[in-house]
Amino acid sequence: MKTLIIQDIDQNGIDVDLSKYTLFQMSERVKPCVGCFGCWIKTPGKCVIKDGDNVFLELMPKVDKVMVISKLTFGGFSPDIKGVFDRSIGFILPFFETVSGEMHHKQRYEKRPSLQYMFYGDNMTEAEKATAQKLVKANAVNLGAPDCSASFYATPDEILEGLK
Amino acid sequence: MKILILNGSPKPSGSASEKLAEGLAQRLGNAEITMFNAMKTGKDEFVAQVNAIDALVVVFPLYVDGLPSHLLRLLDEAKGEIKSSARVYSIANNGFYEGQQNHLALEMMRHFSASSGMEWGQGLGVGAGGMVGVAPFGSGPMKNIGKALDKMAQNILNKQNGDDFYIQPNFPKFLYKMAAHRSWYSQAKGNGISRKGILRGD
Repeated sequence: MKTLIIQDIDQNGIDVDLSKYTLFQMSERVKPCVGCFGCWIKTPGKCVIKDGDNVFLELMPKVDKVMVISKLTFGGFSPDIKGVFDRSIGFILPFFETVSGEMHHKQRYEKRPSLQYMFYGDNMTEAEKATAQKLVKANAVNLGAPDCSASFYATPDEILEGLK
Repeated sequence: MKILILNGSPKPSGSASEKLAEGLAQRLGNAEITMFNAMKTGKDEFVAQVNAIDALVVVFPLYVDGLPSHLLRLLDEAKGEIKSSARVYSIANNGFYEGQQNHLALEMMRHFSASSGMEWGQGLGVGAGGMVGVAPFGSGPMKNIGKALDKMAQNILNKQNGDDFYIQPNFPKFLYKMAAHRSWYSQAKGNGISRKGILRGD
C-alpha cells in the first residue's frame, strides 16, 4: 500500500515514517495552471511547466492513496495545494463521458488512488466543512477515485501525531 | 454606482470568463466599472479597489471543482484586509455541459464573502463554457446565457440579492460533446499528437 502525501504545514517537510509514506514537496509559491491544456494535447499526461510541481501528477498513477493535508480555505484547499491539483488534470483525459447523468472526463489510468483529505484550521465554520465534505466526493468522481474521505483537525499537530 | 469585475481566468485573452465579464458589463448601464485580471492584480491594489465599490463580481473558470489557484491566492490574501459594504456576485463557468457542476465553487465564493465581511449577492453557474461567444449573448445558443446576465445585472444595479442559479447554452448535450472531442483531436494534431497519442498513460 503506497500513500503519497502532499502537505502545506511545513515547507521543509514533515516527520513521518518514510517506509509507509511518500512525501511530495511542493514549491513555496506554486505557479498556477495557465489553462493551456498542454497536458491533454501537447505532452499528454504531463504538465508543460517543468518546475518540480509537475511531478505530483506523474506520481498519482503509481500510488494507492493520495493524502492531502491542507489548511481549510473557503471550504477547500489552500492556494499552493490547489495549484498542484490544477496542474494535475493531465491525470484524466480531455474526452467526456456520462457518470450518473452528469458529464465528466474519461479516465486515463486503470489504477487510480483513493483520496484522503485532512483539513486543519482554527476558525473552520460548519458551512466550510460541509463544502469540503462535498468537495472530496466531487473530486473522487472527477478523478475516478475508488474511495474518499475528509476529516478536520483544530491544529496541524493533531494530524502529525496521528501519522506517527 | 461603482463595480469591480475581477476576471479569474489565467488566459491572457479570449477566455469564456472574459466574454462573460464583458457581456455583464454591457448590461450595467451607466455604472462606473473597473475590470481587473486576477493574474495581474496584487493584493493591495485589489483590497483598495474592493474597499471603494458597491459591488464585486468575480468571473472565473471551474478548476478541479473549485477556484483557479491564482484567484484563490488573491482572495485568501485579501480577505483579512477588506473593509467593504460591497455585495459579492460571482459567475463560474465550466467545460462540462451542466452549469450545476459549478455549485461548490460558488459555495467557496460565499465563504470568501462571509470571511471578508461582505454580503453575498448572487451566484451563476454556466455550463458548456467552451461555447461562450459562438453567438451574441441573448441569441441562438447563447439565448439563456444572455437572459441570465440580464437577471444578474438587474440585481446588481438594484443592490439586491438573488438565489444562485445554473444554466447551459441552448444547444444539445450530445452535439456539445461531439464538437468538444473533434476540437481536442484537431488541436492535438496541430501539435503532432495522434488520436492514440492523446491516450498515452506511461
